[in-house]
Amino acid sequence: MPNPVTKDRWHFEDLKVGQTFTLGPQRVTADEIKSFAAEFDPLPFHLDEEVAKASMLGGLAASGFHTAAMALRMLVDSMLSHTAAMGGLGFEKLAWRRPLMAGDELGGGATITGLRPSASDPHMGLVTIHLEMHNQSGQEVMVMTLTNIVEIRHPHPLVLGAAG
Amino acid sequence: MTRFWEDIETGVDYPLGEHTFGEEEMVRFAKRWDPQYFHTDPEAARSSHFGGLIASGWHTIVVGHRKLVDALHSEAERLKSLGAEPGLSGPSPGINYVHFEQPVRPGDTLTYAMVVTHKRPSRSLPGWGILFNQIQATNQHGARVYLSEVVGFTKMRHPTIAARVKLILARLSGRAGQPPRR
Repeated sequence: MPNPVTKDRWHFEDLKVGQTFTLGPQRVTADEIKSFAAEFDPLPFHLDEEVAKASMLGGLAASGFHTAAMALRMLVDSMLSHTAAMGGLGFEKLAWRRPLMAGDELGGGATITGLRPSASDPHMGLVTIHLEMHNQSGQEVMVMTLTNIVEIRHPHPLVLGAAG
Repeated sequence: MTRFWEDIETGVDYPLGEHTFGEEEMVRFAKRWDPQYFHTDPEAARSSHFGGLIASGWHTIVVGHRKLVDALHSEAERLKSLGAEPGLSGPSPGINYVHFEQPVRPGDTLTYAMVVTHKRPSRSLPGWGILFNQIQATNQHGARVYLSEVVGFTKMRHPTIAARVKLILARLSGRAGQPPRR
């Protein structure tokens, strides 16, 4: 029985290696930086401009977890909310290359770098997505590679039989 | 915050505490950062293969990070109360991996723990050391919900000694690449 929420969305068969999605851009304010940090990353250099200026970051910068959350939201808006997505398996090689400073814009792209059927479930395909995020000057801010599960619209009958 | 790099032990479990994920909190986080239907809509989530609402994986990670920051802060306060000087944490250069292993459902209580698996002097920032922090969360049934490795910078107490160690290590590794002397 097809999932009524996702039946008309892109399925595994609709995705292609090399396909790209534009992410953002979105500006981040000092208030947003402090608000996220107060809840999830209350280190002094994410909460206070003066402390931040004297720190390694050289000014008020978003928590890396905030930057990644912004990128995740952009990925949901531009890709995952149009996909028969079945959740994430995780991610790897997340690198914060440069801080996202108050007033900066975060933008970038997502590229599908891998597509393979799940070895354990004939309804599931695994999609690998590489994110490259930069600021308004084109400087790299963050990269990461995620693996998400996407529903297969027409599971291979032989595989289904083998699994059944 | 925290301890100096020299004083951080590897291979020791640090408990980071617990957090119970309420449905309202899960939905609020997901609507802001990860608005996929199985994170934001309890009714629609029933159609998903999860059979109900689950927390955004990123939500479970950032709560774990908050637990870590609180633990570093408590350790700094403890050291100060003993008259000792606490260390200083720097920004993180990245996360090597996160594996989501089990969904987190409304009412689940996660227990977070960290172990520093190894550490080394930073190659790019003199006076700072790098920590490889393996962080995991386990639910109330004892099942691990995620395993991650987060890299962190922490200040050294004796950067000059560390710089010497770095030099010696660099020489040793240089030698390792050469043919043995006769």
